[in-house]
Amino acid sequence: MKTAHEIRPGNVIMLDGSPWVVQKTETTRSGRNAAIVKLKLKNLLLDSGTEQTFKGEDKLDDIVLERLDCTYSYFADPMYVFMDEEYNQYDVEADNLGDAAAYIVDGMEDQCQVTFYNGKAISVELPVHIVREVIYTEPSARGDTSGKVMKPATITGGGTVTVADFVKVGDKIEIDTRTGEFKKRV
Amino acid sequence: MTTSNLTRTTKHWDIFCTVVDNYGDIGVTWRLAKQLAAEYHIPVHLWVDDLHSFSHILPNLDPTLAQQTFNGVNIFQWNTPLDIEYVAGEVVIEAFACELPKQVKWVIERLHKQPQSSAPHWLNLEYLSAEDWVDGCHGLPSTQPSGIKKWFYFPGFNHKTGGLICEKNLFNERDQWQASPNNKMRLFEELGLSGIRVNDTVISVFSYESAALTALINQWQASPKPMHALVPKGRSLTSLAPFLPVDVTDLIPGQQFKMGNLTLHILPMTDQTGFDRLLWSCDFNIVRGEDSFLRAQWAAKPFIWHIYPQEDDYHLVKLQAFMRIYCDNLAAQIAATWTEVNLAFNQGDAKAVVNHWQQLNSVILPLQQHAINWPNNALNDADLASRLVQFVKNS
Repeated sequence: MKTAHEIRPGNVIMLDGSPWVVQKTETTRSGRNAAIVKLKLKNLLLDSGTEQTFKGEDKLDDIVLERLDCTYSYFADPMYVFMDEEYNQYDVEADNLGDAAAYIVDGMEDQCQVTFYNGKAISVELPVHIVREVIYTEPSARGDTSGKVMKPATITGGGTVTVADFVKVGDKIEIDTRTGEFKKRV
Repeated sequence: MTTSNLTRTTKHWDIFCTVVDNYGDIGVTWRLAKQLAAEYHIPVHLWVDDLHSFSHILPNLDPTLAQQTFNGVNIFQWNTPLDIEYVAGEVVIEAFACELPKQVKWVIERLHKQPQSSAPHWLNLEYLSAEDWVDGCHGLPSTQPSGIKKWFYFPGFNHKTGGLICEKNLFNERDQWQASPNNKMRLFEELGLSGIRVNDTVISVFSYESAALTALINQWQASPKPMHALVPKGRSLTSLAPFLPVDVTDLIPGQQFKMGNLTLHILPMTDQTGFDRLLWSCDFNIVRGEDSFLRAQWAAKPFIWHIYPQEDDYHLVKLQAFMRIYCDNLAAQIAATWTEVNLAFNQGDAKAVVNHWQQLNSVILPLQQHAINWPNNALNDADLASRLVQFVKNS
C-alpha cells in the first residue's frame, strides 16, 4: 500500500478490482495544509481512462508487476522504444508515459524501469531525480540569488520547468520527476 | 454492530464536522444544514465533535445533550466511538475532509455490498478556494478500498465548481436592512455598543493575530472622523493588548476604550443571523477563515480577508487567486490598492498596511460600488446547496 501522495506516474494501482496504470499525478493543497492528489488513470483491462481525486494520506493498493531496468532507445511514433541490458526492445505507448514524456530525450542515459502487465510493457518510471539542460529562459530580472524568485525555463526535450531566477541558458538542473519541481543547479 | 442498521435507511442527510478553528468549520456546516432543511425540506443530521464551540454561534445549544433539534436540524454529539446507533441516510457528507467514524464506514461498506446497493452518496465537502485547479477536481470520484465511490465536492466561484453557500432570500434581507440606518443603530444598541453616531465609520474586526492590525489601530486613532472598531473576544484582541488597560482575558463584552478618535468596542458573540447583520451594518469588515470571509462578501461592503495561514506561505497563493477574480473588471488603481491592503495585512506588514490604508480612502466610493455588484457576479446563478442537491440527483 502507498499513500496517494507517494503514487507516481507509471505505478499500477488496484481500484474496484481492476488494475489501473497511473498516467499523471497532480498534487495541490487544500485548506489547512491538507494535500489533494488528482490521478489520471488508464484501466489495463478495458483500455479506458478516468480521473480520480484522493486525500494525500489515502492508502492505495499499488500492485507489484514485473519490472525491468531499461534505457530509452528511440521514438517510433506513437511508441517510445526502451531496451534492456540484453538488447531486448519494448514499445510503450506515448499516452502511457504521462508526464514522463516531457523528460524523454534522445541519448539520455537515465536508468528507467519499464513495467509489464500480461507480457506487455505498460508504463515507464523515471529515476526520482534527473538532470537536464536549460535551453531557454529569460535572463534574471532582479539579480535574485535567494532561490525564492522563480521563472519558467525550457529544458532539452521541450518540457517546461519553473526554476530559480538565477538559472541561465546552458545550466544543467536537477528535477524531481515526481513533482516536476526544480531542485537545484548542478 | 447489529444488522438492524443495515436495513433501516432513511431519506435524511448526515453531515459530519470536526471543529478545528472554533467557528469556521462549524459555521459553514451549520449554515449548509439549516439551508438544506429550510429550503429543500431535507431532514439533516449534523454530527459535531465540539458542541461547546458550536454553542458560541448557536447560544441555545446545550453542549451536554447527545441530541437536540434547532432550525429543523437534528444535532448530534459526535463521540468516538459513536454512542448513538448510526442509521444510514441518503447522503453522508464529511466536511472539510474529516475522517468518518468507523461505525459509519462499516455501515456504508456493507450497504454497498448488498445486491441492491442502498449505500448513501458519500461526499467530501472541501474548503473554498479560488485557485484554478479546483475546477478540475470538483465532482471527481475517489474509489475507496471497499469499491464504493466517495465524491469530492469543491465550493467555488464559477460554474465548474460546487458554488457558494448563500440562502435564497439573503440578498433581499440584506437590502431591506441596509435601506434604513435605523436598523444598524438598533443593532448596535442591542449589542451594548454605545456612543456610535449614524455617520461615524464603523469597522468590524474578526481576524487572527496580526502586527498589521496593531498598526491600523494606531493609525485609526488619528482619524479625522470618529471611528469605531468592533472586536469580539478572541484572537484579534491579542494583537491589541498593548492598547488595553486590562488583561485581554478580563475583557467583558460591551466594554469600550477611547483612543484618540477611535473607540474600541468589545463585541458579544452573536448567532449567525446576528453576525450577518453586524457585517451589513459596518462600513468595512475585517474577516478571516472561510465562513466570515464569504459572509463579508454577501454583506456588499469592502473588506480585508485574513486567510488561515499555511506552511510555506501557501495561503498567499490562495489569497492571490481570490484577489485576481475579485478584481476582475475593477479599475487598475482601485484593484491595486485593495490588493495591497489585503496582502500587507496577511503578511503582517505594519508599514505597508498603514500606507495602503491611506490610499484606500481615495478609492473607497468605487470600491463600495464594486462590493455591491460583486455578490451576484460571484454567485453565478446558483448557490452551493442547490448545486449540491442537483449533484446528488445526478450521481
